[in-house]
Amino acid sequence: MSGEAARDAVGDYRYGFHDPENSTIRFDEGLSEQVVIDISELKNEPQWMTDVRVKAYRRFIEMPMPTWGNCDLIDQIDFEAVTYFLRSSKGTETDWDDVPEDIKNTFERLGIPEAEQKWLGGVTAQYESEAVYHSIREDLEEQGVIFLDMDSGLKQYPEIVKKYFATVVPASDNKFSALNTAVWSGGSFIYVPKGIHVAMPVQAYFRINAKNMGQFERTLIIADEGSSINYVEGCTAPTYSTDSLHSAVVELIAMKGAKIRYSTIQNWSSNVYNLVTKRGVAHSDATIEWVDGNIGSKLTMKYPSVLLKGEGAHAEVISVAYAGTGQHQDTGAKVYHLAPNTTSNILSKSISKDGGRSSYRGMIQVAPKAHGCRSKIVCDAIILDGESQSDTYPTMEIGNSSADLEHEASVSKVSNDQLFYLMSRGHSEEEAMGLIVNGFFEPFTRELPMEYAVELNRLLELEMEGAIG
Amino acid sequence: MMQYPKIAIPLRSVHLWRYTPWKRIHPTKVEEMPSADVIKFSAGNDSGVEDSDEIARSFIHSISKVCKSITLKDEQLELDLRCSGHICAGELLLKSSGDSSLIIRISGDAGWTGIRVLGEVTGNLSVAVINDLSGDGHLLRCEDWSVGRDSTLEFATLSTGGFLNKSDIRVILTHTGANVRGGVASNGYGSRHDDHHFEIEHLVGHTTSSLVMHASCDGASHSVGTGLLSICEGANGSDAGQVFRNLLLSEKARAEAIPELEVLADDVKAAHGAASAPVDINQIHYLASRGLSFSEATSLIVEGFLMDAFRDVKNKEVLTTLRTRLLVHLECLING
Repeated sequence: MSGEAARDAVGDYRYGFHDPENSTIRFDEGLSEQVVIDISELKNEPQWMTDVRVKAYRRFIEMPMPTWGNCDLIDQIDFEAVTYFLRSSKGTETDWDDVPEDIKNTFERLGIPEAEQKWLGGVTAQYESEAVYHSIREDLEEQGVIFLDMDSGLKQYPEIVKKYFATVVPASDNKFSALNTAVWSGGSFIYVPKGIHVAMPVQAYFRINAKNMGQFERTLIIADEGSSINYVEGCTAPTYSTDSLHSAVVELIAMKGAKIRYSTIQNWSSNVYNLVTKRGVAHSDATIEWVDGNIGSKLTMKYPSVLLKGEGAHAEVISVAYAGTGQHQDTGAKVYHLAPNTTSNILSKSISKDGGRSSYRGMIQVAPKAHGCRSKIVCDAIILDGESQSDTYPTMEIGNSSADLEHEASVSKVSNDQLFYLMSRGHSEEEAMGLIVNGFFEPFTRELPMEYAVELNRLLELEMEGAIG
Repeated sequence: MMQYPKIAIPLRSVHLWRYTPWKRIHPTKVEEMPSADVIKFSAGNDSGVEDSDEIARSFIHSISKVCKSITLKDEQLELDLRCSGHICAGELLLKSSGDSSLIIRISGDAGWTGIRVLGEVTGNLSVAVINDLSGDGHLLRCEDWSVGRDSTLEFATLSTGGFLNKSDIRVILTHTGANVRGGVASNGYGSRHDDHHFEIEHLVGHTTSSLVMHASCDGASHSVGTGLLSICEGANGSDAGQVFRNLLLSEKARAEAIPELEVLADDVKAAHGAASAPVDINQIHYLASRGLSFSEATSLIVEGFLMDAFRDVKNKEVLTTLRTRLLVHLECLING
């Protein structure tokens, strides 16, 4: 396929450039038990992890594909055409100058080193299957904060990883969590000691560069009692005419009184399947916040979840989705109120344009003994043309009489009155539309670090180009 | 068209069957086709309807030995459906034009009842279904309505009887100007399980729909409300709304709400909401300070809450009948 034809197939995408592939190790396409064992051996993992992987692989083979979301698109995934492991660098560097030149160029184009110097507490940059660069501010390290890529985390802190790994998202949770558990590679491992507040956000950046690549990072964040951390992740990939698969698992554990905020700006190219399982456990008086932006990918199926396990725990999920040509953003949130006096807020906003489809799929469950729980869910959707689609599939299961739940949703188009008002103040119709869309997403962007919010607004403006006429 | 035993058993991942799976509502073993007694209709002529691809409809069709047809033109009709025997079933074909109203009362002591209704509305029809079955009966109720040009269907359900109920009501707005207003009130007590599923499809533009379901849940009852509001491609100018509210009265009561939206047109208004909460203790206190006992005060609040589900029912006779039936039912609950 020519470059032009490929562009036609995948659309215009700012991060669609790719580097020549200079892998040091690349597995053949396809998945088998031997591939799973080989990945584990290559990483010199302890036997228990190899066993976990093999067991998960067997579950993956047995488990059916999900029956929700976009079954037509999911069924098109050819697991035998995916490369499950690709190592691009000899190891994880802590000095930016030691990162291979081509990879360094990629991340410099994406602005990672600049961001790190200015406003981050730590950075992990993952390229294909493994982290290529990793750093953490010295003062955080001195306070006992552990911020490593997951492979290093397993090597250096095997006892902590063994204690918490797959306790929040077991391999048997769904087909894609089983796949991730079998072939995981990379991701972040964070432990924040008791009472430590990590003031500056830490960031992970995930980049797929090779064709037909599968990226299966695994992230585990543990915030000990009374601590807090703000984790930000970003994702991009080149535009190819063949599909790539991103299937991550993220596990968060917030101990008593701890707070974890996990922000994602997902901007995969439109040939990436983004099938991710994200879940957190909040103990007494702990707070877990998912701030989730979905702009890219061909199909995203992602429902950040929180198990409110301790009394007084709180969950907050703010998500936005933009679905353009050929995209289906099947996103949502799940909160399980398992303990008394737990609270949750969910705010979901989506825009569908040029035949795109956005779906909110949610679950709020209140256990029989979880008295005094409160939850509020608000879903707003805008459809910009007659070819696009917007769906809402909320589920509420209430197991006792003291629960107080509210859900409201609306689907509409951009109001002509608002457009007229802005145009009468001198804006073109396109500018007016852009302003309205930015305003629509504002509850989300105000929760992001400022640099991310500016970047998100810019991305949305790019996506909105040509929305009029 | 497939006949019942050939249709695959639906998965529980489908919301329609999530809380009351087919195995649970089927009167015997799912592979069986039991013999059924006939529902006694107080009016109607003998008729016949086609089978369906949908499992519950096909099952009722397969075991029914009676199908009645009723044509209403500027008429008011009260129709009694008397259900008795171990298993009983029946089908009803309804055509309405002009300004008509129909009150269907389902009563009797049948162990299991299956009712299938197919309705076609031109003009204005106000229809109320009152489930007054004995306390241990099971009810499977399937309704399919089509509403024509500039026509209005007002449907109301008062669900107070039976032990295990599953209703699946589908309305298609087929022509411009079609309008549907639905109100459903469910009173849960004891171990009653009351599952209502609604599908409203805006096939063309400039159609409107509104649905309100209120469920009060006492004892160890379980209320389920699932709804799918679809606005088809090109159905611009549609206005659709759906609200599910649950009033939780006891520790062991459970309530589920799944109001779904699927919108494929851009120039529409579509909204849905759901809320679940306990009785406001201040309201109880207010009524108790006026001399009402706790159960009387609760009953009054429940009455107000359930009647509010019928706020869009404009037909006064239908509304009066619904209120009377609800009051009798609540009084019976208080006085045993």
